[in-house]
Amino acid sequence: MKAAQLAEQVPMVREATTGAEAARVIAEYRLSGLVVADDDGVPMAVVPGSQLLSLVLPQYVRDDPNLAHAYDEAGADEMCAALNHATIGQLLEAKRLAAVKPPSVLPDDTLIEIASVMDGGRTPVALVIDDDGVFHGVITLSRVLAAIAAAAGQDSPLVRRRLEQDVLHRHEPG
Amino acid sequence: MSLTAVLALLVFASAYVVIVSERFNRTAVALIGAAAMVGIGAVRGHEVFFSEDTGIDWNVIFLLFGMMVIVGILRQTGVFEFLAIWSAQRARARPFRMMVLLVVITAVASALLDNVTTVLLVAPVTLLLCERLGLDPVPFLLAEAMASNIGGTATLIGDPPNIIIGSRAGLGFNDFLVHLTPIVVVLLAVFVGLCWLLWGRRLRFDPERAEAVMRLEARETIRDSRLLLRVGVVLVLVMIGFVTHSVTHLEPSLVALLGAGAAVLVADVPHPVYLDEIEWETLLFFAGLFVMVGSLVHQGVIGDLARTLTGTIDDHYGPAAQGLLLGSAVLSGVVDNIPYVATMAPLVHDLVGPAAGLPPHQQSLWWALALGADLGGNATAIGASANVVITGIAKRNGYPISFWRFTRDGLVVTAVTVALCMPYVALRYFVWA
Repeated sequence: MKAAQLAEQVPMVREATTGAEAARVIAEYRLSGLVVADDDGVPMAVVPGSQLLSLVLPQYVRDDPNLAHAYDEAGADEMCAALNHATIGQLLEAKRLAAVKPPSVLPDDTLIEIASVMDGGRTPVALVIDDDGVFHGVITLSRVLAAIAAAAGQDSPLVRRRLEQDVLHRHEPG
Repeated sequence: MSLTAVLALLVFASAYVVIVSERFNRTAVALIGAAAMVGIGAVRGHEVFFSEDTGIDWNVIFLLFGMMVIVGILRQTGVFEFLAIWSAQRARARPFRMMVLLVVITAVASALLDNVTTVLLVAPVTLLLCERLGLDPVPFLLAEAMASNIGGTATLIGDPPNIIIGSRAGLGFNDFLVHLTPIVVVLLAVFVGLCWLLWGRRLRFDPERAEAVMRLEARETIRDSRLLLRVGVVLVLVMIGFVTHSVTHLEPSLVALLGAGAAVLVADVPHPVYLDEIEWETLLFFAGLFVMVGSLVHQGVIGDLARTLTGTIDDHYGPAAQGLLLGSAVLSGVVDNIPYVATMAPLVHDLVGPAAGLPPHQQSLWWALALGADLGGNATAIGASANVVITGIAKRNGYPISFWRFTRDGLVVTAVTVALCMPYVALRYFVWA
C-alpha cells in the first residue's frame, strides 16, 4: 500500500481549542494523538494523547506523585475542570504540552518508508504532502498498523474496514 | 610565599569568584580549579586522595552519600506528605496554625535530614494545601526555606557546613546536640513569632475552603506502610549510631554508610530509585573544593593567614568569636555557605586546633562559624541551597519569588536570629565558662 491510499481525514484542533475540548475530541474519535492545525487548516504540531493526561496534574503533583493519592473524588473532579481554563495554544507556549512537528511522507511512499518516518519522528501520525506542497491527509498509527497487519497476512473484517474508512467518515452522524 | 603558593592563591581566588558569580556550573568550576591545583604542583595525587588535611575529606563525602541513599528510600514512603496533610487537618486548616506546624515539621526534618531534601518534600504538599485553601503559597514557602536553615543548624547532619565543621574540628553528633540544639530551639520559637509578624497576621481563613483540606485523604499518601516501618527503624538506628559515637567509635560517615546499606537491604526497592536521589554533582563539588582548599593548606597559605590572625586576635577570643559569627552571617548571605565554610574551617583549625580539649573560649570560634554560616544563609535567595530550591519550585508552579521579595524577609530573620546568637556565644563560652 502507498501513503496516498492510507491518508485519511482526521479531526484537528486549533490553538484556541481548550484542553477540555481537545480531550473530548480524542475520546470521541478514539485518537492516539492530537493534530493541531494553524489558521489555514495546515497541521503544525502533533501532541501524543497521553500528554493531555499531564494537563490535569498540577506541577506539584508531577513533582511529587504521592500527592495524587490525597485527593478525594470531588477534589479530583475539580482538578479536571481546570482543563476548561487553558487553550492548546497557551499550553504549547507554556511548554506544558511537548508537541512535535509532524513528519511528512510523499503520496507514493511505501509502508516501510512510512514506518521509518513515524518511528524516527516518534509520533502517532505522519502528514502526506506531495512535492508541490499539497496536503493530502494524515496517516494515523492505527491505520498504518492495519496495513502492516494485512500485508503480514493478519487480515480480518475489522482490519479491512479500518483500511476502507477514515476516522471522520466512520463517525459521521447518521 | 613561594611561586607555587602565589599561583595556588590565584587559582583559588579565580575559581571562587566564578563560583560566586553563579554564571557557570559550580561543580565544573570546582573540578577545573582542583585540576589546575594539581597542574601547578600545589598538591600531589597521593595527598588529594589520602590526606585528611590537604585532600578530599571522605568523611564528609560519604556521610552525605549515605544520608542521600537513606533519604532516597524514605522518600518513597510518602511519610512527609502524610505528616504535612495530617498536621494541616489537626490545625483545622487555620492558615497560621498550619504555617506553624509546617515550620516545625520542616525544622525537625531538616535537623535529621539535609535541608534541600526536606524542602523538596515539604514544598509540593504546601502548594497543594494552599491551593485548596485559596491562599498565596509564597509566605508558606519562604517560612519553610528559613525554617529548614534554622533547623539544619541544630545537628551535625542538618546542614552541609556543619558536616565540614564536624569533620575538620573533630566534633561529633552529640557535640552539636549539646552546643547548637538548645539555641536553635530558642531561635525556632522566636522564628514562629516572626512568622506571625511577617506573614501570619495577613492570612485569611475561609471555612468553606477549609473543608477541601479536611476532605484530603492523608493516609492514602502512604503507599507502603511496611516500607515505612522498615526504613523508619533503620533511620532510628542511624540516629542511635550517631549519638553513641563515644561508645562505638564509629565515624558518622561509617554510621551513615552502614545505615544506607541496611536501608537498601530492607527496602527491597529497585536500585535506580535510591540512586536517583544521590546528588552526584554536589558530591563532586565538595571533592573539588576540598582539593582547592587543601592545596592552600599544603602550600602554607592558610597557615600564614592563621599566624597573622593569631597575632591580631592575641587572647581576645570574645571579640574574635563575635566577629566570626557576624562576618560569617554576612558572607554566607552573599556567597554559598558551603565553599565559605570549606575555606574557613582549615583557617579556624590553624587558629585554635581541633575542638576536643579546647577551653570554651577557644572552642567558641568553631560554634560561631557554624551559627554564622548556617543562619546567614537565610539572608538572601541565594544564601543557602534550600532557598534556591524553594524559589525554583515556586517559579515552576507559577508563583515566582523575586530575589528582593526573599531578601526583604530573609534579612529580618537573619538579623534577629544572629542577634540572639551573639549573647548566647558570649554567655555560654565566656561569662558562664
